[in-house]
Amino acid sequence: MEATRRRAFATPADTVISVIVFGLLFYILWLVIDWAFVRAVWSADAVDQCKVDSIGACWSVIDARHRLILFGLYPFEEHWRSTAACASIIATVVLSCMPAFWSSRRLITLWIVGFAAYYLLMEGSLIGLPQVTTDQWGGLSLTLFLFSSVVLLGMPMGLGLALMRRSNMPVVRLTATLIIDFVRSLPLLTTLFTAAVILPILLPEWLQGDKIWRVILAFALFFACYQAEVFRGGFQAIPKGQWEAGKALGLGQWTTLFDIILPQVFRHALPATINMVVLTFKETAIVIIIGFFEMLASAGAAFGTGEWVPYYLEVYVFVGLIYWVFIFSLGQYGEYLKNRMKVDHR
Amino acid sequence: MRPRAVTGAGPKLSNSRFGEPMVAATARSRKTAQMRRLLIQAVIIIALVAIVWSTYTTAQTNLNALGITGGYAFLERATGWSYSFSLIPRSVDDTYLRTLTIGFINTLFLGTLCIVLSTIIGFAVGSIRDTSNLALQTIASVYVQLFRNLPLILQLVFWYAVFIHLPGPRQAYALGEIVLFSNRGLMLPALNISGQTALILLLGSIALGVIVLFARITAMRALFVWASATVLAIAVSLLMFVPEGEPIASVPTLKGLRFQGGMQMTIELVAMIVAIVLYSSAYIAEVVRGGLAEVPRGLIEAGQALGLSGRTIWSRIKLPMALRSIIPPLGNQWIFVMKATTIGVAIGFSDLFMIVSTSLTQTGQTLELIAILMGAFLLINFALAQFVNVINRRMQLKSH
Amino acid sequence: MLKTLAKLTVAALAASVPVMVSAAEPAPTTQKIIDRGTLLCTGHNGSFFGFVEVNDRNEWKGLDIDMCRGLATAILGDSDKVQIVPLSWAQRFPALQSGDVDLIIKATTWTMGRDTELGLQFSIPYFLGAAQFMAHAELGVTEAAELDGGTICVEAGTTIERIAGDFLSSNNIEHTMVSYEKGAELRAAYLAKRCDAFAGWGPNLAVIRATEVDDSGAHVILSDQLSTDPISAAMRQGDEEFVDLVNYLIAALIKAEELGITSENVNEIAANPPSTTVARLLGSDPGMGERLGLRDTWAREVIAEIGNFGQMYDRNLGKDSPYNLPRGLNALWKDGGVLYTPIID
Repeated sequence: MEATRRRAFATPADTVISVIVFGLLFYILWLVIDWAFVRAVWSADAVDQCKVDSIGACWSVIDARHRLILFGLYPFEEHWRSTAACASIIATVVLSCMPAFWSSRRLITLWIVGFAAYYLLMEGSLIGLPQVTTDQWGGLSLTLFLFSSVVLLGMPMGLGLALMRRSNMPVVRLTATLIIDFVRSLPLLTTLFTAAVILPILLPEWLQGDKIWRVILAFALFFACYQAEVFRGGFQAIPKGQWEAGKALGLGQWTTLFDIILPQVFRHALPATINMVVLTFKETAIVIIIGFFEMLASAGAAFGTGEWVPYYLEVYVFVGLIYWVFIFSLGQYGEYLKNRMKVDHR
Repeated sequence: MRPRAVTGAGPKLSNSRFGEPMVAATARSRKTAQMRRLLIQAVIIIALVAIVWSTYTTAQTNLNALGITGGYAFLERATGWSYSFSLIPRSVDDTYLRTLTIGFINTLFLGTLCIVLSTIIGFAVGSIRDTSNLALQTIASVYVQLFRNLPLILQLVFWYAVFIHLPGPRQAYALGEIVLFSNRGLMLPALNISGQTALILLLGSIALGVIVLFARITAMRALFVWASATVLAIAVSLLMFVPEGEPIASVPTLKGLRFQGGMQMTIELVAMIVAIVLYSSAYIAEVVRGGLAEVPRGLIEAGQALGLSGRTIWSRIKLPMALRSIIPPLGNQWIFVMKATTIGVAIGFSDLFMIVSTSLTQTGQTLELIAILMGAFLLINFALAQFVNVINRRMQLKSH
Repeated sequence: MLKTLAKLTVAALAASVPVMVSAAEPAPTTQKIIDRGTLLCTGHNGSFFGFVEVNDRNEWKGLDIDMCRGLATAILGDSDKVQIVPLSWAQRFPALQSGDVDLIIKATTWTMGRDTELGLQFSIPYFLGAAQFMAHAELGVTEAAELDGGTICVEAGTTIERIAGDFLSSNNIEHTMVSYEKGAELRAAYLAKRCDAFAGWGPNLAVIRATEVDDSGAHVILSDQLSTDPISAAMRQGDEEFVDLVNYLIAALIKAEELGITSENVNEIAANPPSTTVARLLGSDPGMGERLGLRDTWAREVIAEIGNFGQMYDRNLGKDSPYNLPRGLNALWKDGGVLYTPIID
């Protein structure tokens, strides 16, 4: 309390500013609460009340259309599978934030298991459920699918590029540098658009694959090129002496790399890596432009027809909230780790 | 994510040595190692050549099968379609070359504007977060956490949806009858010169700014030279280009279905600017706060001990010190802004990406157009990176 | 030895005159569809009402979707074996070039530029519609000339984009054109009055006016007819047999209406064909299928599944749909429309 007083009301000028600013903040907060809760309509059946002028948010649209936003075009009867699949990805992300899982083997297993659970549930045919092809996946579940597969594929690719860039063979180094700089100079949208639309012209037919996998691979490449730079920073933080120590112990090059150097690289690169992961989650929304039915696209569809057209604001707020909670909490977690590591160093 | 599993992921890098010093070994094993290194590199080169060659031939066969003739001849043809925004006069009879150029100018214009605005706002918000007043800190934090943690494209479609539901031109919000805001866009009073003249002035001013930045003169003098030359150029062009008997500045007025006179920013442009600037300034604010926080406390205390005022400490000690760690990430953010303009296609803003994407459907010249798009962005990013380097170097020089 | 040589010669001869032997073989695209077991057909990113739309149960429907399902029935014998790939207008041709779809059935206009420069082939038209403007009634405009100075919204990468641009500039109507990638955005922008007018395709404008708007008097479709657009299926160049197949699918649907064959009575008629034309069409007499590399009964199955063209129209656009669009030009030639077929002999 004392600290607050000192920070907000130290001088008369501070006091004036504080009163005005806090007053404004509370006023805005009140407007939001009033709109979103006090004067809101909640149920889909009560949609007629929304037409009254004095009414606030019309959450009826969410009540009626939330399944479309969350699951897109996924068959209606199978939505429990989508729910379970989303839960498995979210659990994977949450668990990998826990120090108990911070060993290479556990993390790898966790992600592969989480991703496999997602895929098996969504696709279905391998575990005896009715098959649902990827073109019917949508909404939040597609967003999570894109996100997790990009991170899962991009992480080893990024490490590969980072190692290539540190190679003492000029051709290897140059190739990696060229790829990294090229991809980083292009807007993500251009890369994805190329993968979706242009690549099939350049590739023989047996190599083209499904559009969604081409886009995921391109997205993973984009992730990898940024992540490679993150790893590079991690490598630079490791003193040269570590290599020599490994050698002195009679360890081979690869053993030194994987058992001594890389764990430290990962530790140094962790906050920046979390930043990249957060960024990737945010950027998945961009695939709406190349025609995927992810969460933002299904949000558009949710208020796209009939009686729901006027309630675009409610839908955007709902979707925004989902994104925000996920991104904010991951971001805060990254901050926390960064601070913790700073303390470790002292 | 951890070491073990990635061994399989990078087979092509077997035996690279990751830059650590070579072990002293027998001459023979060194020779084998040398041979192996050469072999690996040769294989990579051959593989790269093979990939390039096979994509080239595949593209040839695929395009031939479709009956599409490649090449850039289509650039001379008229497009026959129109789009929402251009700084220079346009018509449906324009060639593809001109249309693509307009897209490029739009991207540059939007990008530059957003960079300038988000840098200014970002510095302001970042500095506010660094003040001691709790209330100011809170509001700045809310700003940063709100706009940084939502996907840019979501913010864009949100603002666009809000803006197009504003009242129409006949019921526009007016500020003193000269600034008008409606669902058609933001109408501002403007100097009575053509868009083309204005664009040339803008480009000239930017070019001068870059030259001044390179020149070995102090920042204050550079600013003075740049500002006075720009004002002079505007005055001269006003004298030369304002039509006889017309006022120097024009004010937007409603005529029939639309506004005439003044400067008109279409609502797509406004939505793009609002979304990108909010998002990007929140990022820059974090960069600025980080930079300010890194300035050693001792320096500030030294300033206080010397009896310097708070403002002097800020402008002479804190900011210059912080700028050195701010500039590199700030440069990255600028490049991000330029790239972010591509999402204009989501709301129908005619940036380069949208023009390319439409041209692509209308002509079928897929590879040529995507090459143009990539080339343009490589050019923009290269130029911007050089620009940031120059600033960075000037910052370092001053400190020595 | 001689025998082998003779065999080789025959094989070489056969290979050099593919036109003569290929009739019984499925066309390359058809073969690909059979191998894959599904037809890849175009959808829309959102709904293009009446032609391609998503219903409350997240299923695709519409006239164009029915055509896709008809084609899947003809080739694979199952109307569910079609995968609808959602695409924006601007992406449909690149997607066809890249093989993401087998053909485009998506209210696509047959133009010379597309036929020659884009490397496409078009089927016979199955629909005719005019490009028109729809404007807010409160503006009080009735013809395009009064839009002078206005903002026109249009979908990016369509023929309408060019036709409208051409029309407005050749009539010296000053305008700002805003183009959108997605139909839903265009509709939202128009309804929010971002634009004074909406340049679109007549049937689609009528459908939007009929459904999206509380009060259909709030919008007027202007009298100017900018063009008459023949709507066809678009396919990749170099597979004539596949084009034939699609052509005769369309022909069969129209012919069935002309002959009064509907999804309800098709099996009765097939069992008891009144004429040889009908017998051949429905596969009661053999021969029809082989020439296209299909089963003889393909047309019967298609009609049983999706009905004749008239039934498709009524269900998706006409009297059995919420839009209730009159047939107009899209009636049979004998009813005053422009639909006719090649002779099926």
